Amino acid sequence: MTWSRLIRSELRKLTTTAMPLAFLAVLALLAVVNGIAVAFGTDMDGSKTFISTAEDQQSLMAFAANAFMGAGLFGAVAAAREYGHHTVVPTYLAVPRRHRAVLAQYAAVAVGGAVLSVIGAALTMGAVAAALPSTEYGFLVSSGGVVRVLAAATFAGACGAVFGAGIGGLIRNTGGALATAVLILIVAPPLLVQLATDTASWIPSTLANVVSGVATDTGTFAAIAVLVAWAAVPAAIGLLAVERRDVV
Amino acid sequence: MSATSLSVFDVTAADRSRRIPSPVLEFDRVTKRYGRTTVVDDLSFTVQPGRVTGFLGPNGSGKSTTIKILLGLAGADKGRATIGGRYYQEFKDPTGTVGVILEPNAFHPGRSGRNHLRIVADAAGIAPSRVDDMLDDVGLSGSAADRRVGAYSLGMRQRLSLAAALLGDPPVLVLDEPANGLDPQGIHTLRDLLRARAAGGDTVLVSSHILAEMELLADDLVVIDKGRLIASGPMAELQQVANVVRTPDPATLQRALESSGGMVQRADDETLIVRGLSLDDIGDQAFDHQVRVHELSPKVGSLEELFLSWTAGSPSNEEGYEKAKVLS
Repeated sequence: MTWSRLIRSELRKLTTTAMPLAFLAVLALLAVVNGIAVAFGTDMDGSKTFISTAEDQQSLMAFAANAFMGAGLFGAVAAAREYGHHTVVPTYLAVPRRHRAVLAQYAAVAVGGAVLSVIGAALTMGAVAAALPSTEYGFLVSSGGVVRVLAAATFAGACGAVFGAGIGGLIRNTGGALATAVLILIVAPPLLVQLATDTASWIPSTLANVVSGVATDTGTFAAIAVLVAWAAVPAAIGLLAVERRDVV
Repeated sequence: MSATSLSVFDVTAADRSRRIPSPVLEFDRVTKRYGRTTVVDDLSFTVQPGRVTGFLGPNGSGKSTTIKILLGLAGADKGRATIGGRYYQEFKDPTGTVGVILEPNAFHPGRSGRNHLRIVADAAGIAPSRVDDMLDDVGLSGSAADRRVGAYSLGMRQRLSLAAALLGDPPVLVLDEPANGLDPQGIHTLRDLLRARAAGGDTVLVSSHILAEMELLADDLVVIDKGRLIASGPMAELQQVANVVRTPDPATLQRALESSGGMVQRADDETLIVRGLSLDDIGDQAFDHQVRVHELSPKVGSLEELFLSWTAGSPSNEEGYEKAKVLS
């Protein structure tokens, strides 16, 4: 009962501002870009081989890597803005055992990240499917492939949101949390891969592609486990920081 | 806040008697440091139920930090701050125990007032119907409740804060600057509310910079400066800074009172201001020296005058320091 009302409170925080709508608008834009790419884009040789097989189309529609990144930003904003607007104060007054509030927030952003991500994946699929009739290729991805892409996006979105919320709780400043999330998810991985090539298999985008069934760098279960770890480590650090620090 | 709302806020003694007695707030040698700066320094005082206690101090004197320590938002380096002997974190129903106004703008500007209260109600396990009741009580019902908080005036935000504080109908109120931004009607209603709560046995701690308002509201005062306790006690006692004696023979009485350890100041040809001696002591001295007395009464200082003298020299109160020097 306690947990359900705490999570309901955190979900209400997410759904009572314009933030989800802003993310939905970005997802819609991404889907439109994908549709345009399918309708008008070509390979270097002028052909459309990038959509010629089921694997190619599934790879194009695989949304999990974007989901982890986008939901990471979503989680970071959701957690950090609580400090910026001081809305953590009424929360921690109502729930003075802060770990409960933080865990409820993680659960809520995971739901939010998952929902946004599955919507993003569905919009992308819809845009691609809508654009394919304008080409010589039909929709080739199997129903199993569609389910896997959607499931992978949902899972990666949940993990990414928790990752971001951990960063947000740790940094406590929306701009700083966003910058840190971007640094970790976008800027650092290529640099890391250049330093140690083997790490390419373990960065979130690769892992998300493995879960989506469009990459084989690791096993699926290993990819799932490591994606969970990517979320759990910053979440745990953020939780410890929130427990120990004063609310100022 | 409309005048009619007061009947809903009003808490009768019968209402309160159905509940457990309101707890005492106890601050026992509380010390808080940030780096090398001591923000709260060995601070001890109690806040009794059934009374409104004013919490005064210049900006940066440590009031908010002290309140945050009580509410578990900041940790004390030494000492204890408890509510009925228990730490805030130990309460199973904190929102139903302590109502708090702390941060003046603890709202997401894009969220409606109603949704802000719903979020607090959800987290605290309070029935959603209570949200609408409280919005009605603070005069934010109807379209105002569904407007974004970012479009609220300061007074409306303060009403929303008050609604959140009262959501759990708590027996303890800890309010930091609750009158900030309220119009005169709102201040009047707030004062009546807090007095009614205290009369019903609740424990009420109010910090404010509006000294005239505090003078009308508080039964007890706690004054801190630079994190240290400067003065505490019943308002009436603290305001009694001196005694006034009017006599046709001030010279004789002045000598007698000074020889008894009193500090005596001649106000005019017939009037003496006496510090350091009680009314009984002064009366006895006059009787012993056969000096006729036409008036013997306590001199009551204004809270503003007292506050400025208590906090004179505080870095945040240089203007007050200058005024206090003039007054003294």
